[in-house]
Amino acid sequence: MSLQMIINGLSLGGVYAIIAVGYALIYNILKFSNFSHSGILVATAYIGYFIASKLHTNFWVTLLLTALIGGVLAVIVEFIGFRRLRVKNVNTMLYFVSSITVSMLLENLITVLFSTSYYSYPAFFKTTSFNVGGIMFVTTDILMLLISCVALTILQFVLKKTRIGVAIRALSTDAKTTSLMGINVTSIVIATFFVSGMLGGISGMFLGINYTLYPKLGGMITKGFISSIIGGLGNITGAVMGAFILGLLEVFLINIDFIGSSFTPVVTFVIMIIFLLIRPQGIAGSIAKEKV
Amino acid sequence: MQRKNLTMFRNFVNINLVKLTIINRINKRSGGKLKKILALIMSATLVMSLAGCSGKAKGTTTPAPAAGEIIIGGLQDLSGGSSVSGVAMDRGAQMAVKEINDKGGINGKKIKYISYDTKGTPQEGLNAYTRLVDQDKAVAVVGPPISNIGLALTETAAQKKVPIVGAFIDSRVTKKEDGKPQDYMFLVQPTNQQSGTIQAGYLVDELGLKKVALFYDKTNAFGVSQVEAFKAYVLASGGEIVEEQVFKSGDVDFKTQLNKIKESGAEAIFAPNYPKDNTLYCTQLNQLGMSNIVTMGGLEFAPPFLTTLPDPTLVDNVYFALNVAFDDPKLADLNQSYLDTYTEAKSVDDISVKVYLGYDAIRLIAEAIKNTTGNITGEAVKAGLEGIEGFDALPGKIGFSPESHQPIGLTMVMYKISKGVNEKIGPYVPEVLK
Repeated sequence: MSLQMIINGLSLGGVYAIIAVGYALIYNILKFSNFSHSGILVATAYIGYFIASKLHTNFWVTLLLTALIGGVLAVIVEFIGFRRLRVKNVNTMLYFVSSITVSMLLENLITVLFSTSYYSYPAFFKTTSFNVGGIMFVTTDILMLLISCVALTILQFVLKKTRIGVAIRALSTDAKTTSLMGINVTSIVIATFFVSGMLGGISGMFLGINYTLYPKLGGMITKGFISSIIGGLGNITGAVMGAFILGLLEVFLINIDFIGSSFTPVVTFVIMIIFLLIRPQGIAGSIAKEKV
Repeated sequence: MQRKNLTMFRNFVNINLVKLTIINRINKRSGGKLKKILALIMSATLVMSLAGCSGKAKGTTTPAPAAGEIIIGGLQDLSGGSSVSGVAMDRGAQMAVKEINDKGGINGKKIKYISYDTKGTPQEGLNAYTRLVDQDKAVAVVGPPISNIGLALTETAAQKKVPIVGAFIDSRVTKKEDGKPQDYMFLVQPTNQQSGTIQAGYLVDELGLKKVALFYDKTNAFGVSQVEAFKAYVLASGGEIVEEQVFKSGDVDFKTQLNKIKESGAEAIFAPNYPKDNTLYCTQLNQLGMSNIVTMGGLEFAPPFLTTLPDPTLVDNVYFALNVAFDDPKLADLNQSYLDTYTEAKSVDDISVKVYLGYDAIRLIAEAIKNTTGNITGEAVKAGLEGIEGFDALPGKIGFSPESHQPIGLTMVMYKISKGVNEKIGPYVPEVLK
C-alpha cells in the first residue's frame, strides 16, 4: 500500500472518527446504539449548506453555526425521543427503536423538504489540495483531521478534568447512584446530547463538503458503529482508534483486486463479527482502562 | 447539601408515585380502556398515514380519459441522483405536449400528460408504469434515461401492451438475447454499443490515446453496457486497458480507485457515470492532481452538469459525446421557449440535452398515434412506432429498426470541457459505424 493510500485511509478514518465519537458518547451514558445521530448528521449538513449558500458565510462561521445547531437539534431529539423512556426506566431495546424512528423521521423530513436530489456545498477554499513530496493532501481532509483532534482533545479534557466530565463518567457507570449523589441526571444527559450533536454537526458539514449532500448521507453512521465495535463500545478513545483502523482497512481492501469496492463492506462486516466473537470489548478494552 | 438533595429526591419519588396512582386508578375504573383507546388511535393514525403515501404525481388520476383526450404517461427520476436528467426529460415532454395541443392536438384530440417519479429505483418504476396503464389509461409512456429501470419494465410492458419510448441506452432494454426486439420498448437515442464505440473511437483514433483505464459503477447497466463496447473497440484498435476500477451505487469515496488508476500510467479514463458520481469523480480527480489525464465521460457530462459543481473550473480535459448539438440553430426556438418557461435557466448551457429527448419522445408517439386508424390502444401505438421512417427528430431523420426497436440514422457530436467551459468539437462517427 503506497503512502498516498495511507494518507487517504487516514483521511477517511478522520471522517469516521468524529462520527464514532458522537455515537460513543451517547452509548457511554445511555448504553444503547443511538442511530438518531445519523438523522442529526444529515439534517445539520443540509442546514450548513443553506447557511453557507444563502448567507454567504465563510467556512469557520458555517462550521460554528452548524455545530451549535447540531447541538440544539440533538437536545430536541433527546426530549422527544428519549426523555420519557429514561424517566420510565424502560428496557434498553426501546431506546434503540426510538433512535431508529427518529433517524427515519429526520431523513424523510429532509427528503420531503428538499427531495432526493443532491446539492454541492459552495467552494470555501481556492486551493482544494496541495502536493508535498509527491503526496497529495486534500485541504478539507487536513482541516477535518485538525478540527477532530482539537474537538476530541477538548472533549477528553472536559471528561477528565471538569466537574461536568466527572458527572458524565459517573452517569456512564451507574445512573441511579449518580442521581442519589445529588447530580441532576437530566442536565447531564442534555449536556451530553448537546456535545454529541455538535460533533454530529461538524461531521455532517464535512461529509456534505466531501461527498455532496443527499438524504442518505446519514448512512455513514454505520461506519461510526463499526468503529465503536472495533474500538470498544462506549469507549471514546477506542472509537477514534477503531475509526482510523477502519479507514485504513477499507482503503487496503479496495486496493485488493479480487475484493475491490464491491466486497469491501462484506469483509468489513465479517471482521466486525469476528471482533464481537473473539474480543467483544474491542481493542481499547485492555489498552485504555478508565479509572473512576 | 446532601440532606437537601435527599429531600428533593424523596419529593420527586413521591410526586411520581402520586401521578402513577392517579393514572392507575383511572385505568382501573375504565377497565384499562384508556390505554387501549390510545393505542387504537395511534395505530389508526399510522395506517392512514402509510395509506396516504404515494409517488409524486403531476396529474390527476381520473378513472377514464375524458372524451377527445389522449393520455400519455411519463416515468422519470424527478428526485434522486439522476433527477437532473429526469426533470429535464419530463420538461421536454411537457413542452412537446403543449406545442402539439396548441396546434390542435392529434387528429383533433388533446394530449393529457401524466408523469410519475420513479425515484431511481426499478420497483418505483414498475409501480408507476402499472398505475399509468391500469388507472390512468395511458396509451403510451415516455420512459426514463435509466437503463436499470428500463430493464425492469420490459416484461411488464409486454404484458400490459402499452409501449414505452425512452432513453435507456442498454441495448438489452430494447433487444432480447435471442435477437428479437422487446415488443413494447423503443429507444430514442444511440445505444450503449454505439455510444461506447464512438467514444472509444474518438479517444484512440482522433486523440491517439492507447493506454486507457476504466472507472464505472458496476451495479449500473448504463455504465456497464457502454464499457463492453468501449473495451472491445480499444483492444481491437491496438490499445490497452491498463486498469479497470469499479464502484457500487452509494459509494462516495473514489480516491483509492483513482489512485490506482494514477499509478497505472493511464493516458485516459473512460467514466460513463451518473451526474452525482461525476461530481464526486471530478472533485476527487482534481484533489489527487489527476486533471491532466483525459476523461471520456458519458452523456451525463452534458449541460447542466457544470452548474451542479461549486467550482466548475476543476472540470478539465473531459470529453463527451452528445446525440445533438445544443447550439444547433434548429433548437433555437425550443431553447428560447425553455428559457422563457423555466426562468432558473439563464442560458443554453443550463439546458440539459435530456430536454430534447423528452421532446422527441412525445413527438414520435404523436406521429405514431396520428397514423393510427380506429381505436387508439397501446398495441396500435406500438404498430405506429414500428412504422415510422425518416421522422424529422431534433438530431436528424430517424426511424426505429424493426429488429431491435433502436433508432436508425443517429450520429453524435463531440464536446470537450476545458476548465469549466463547454467547447463543441463537431460530429464524429468512427469508420466502423459508417
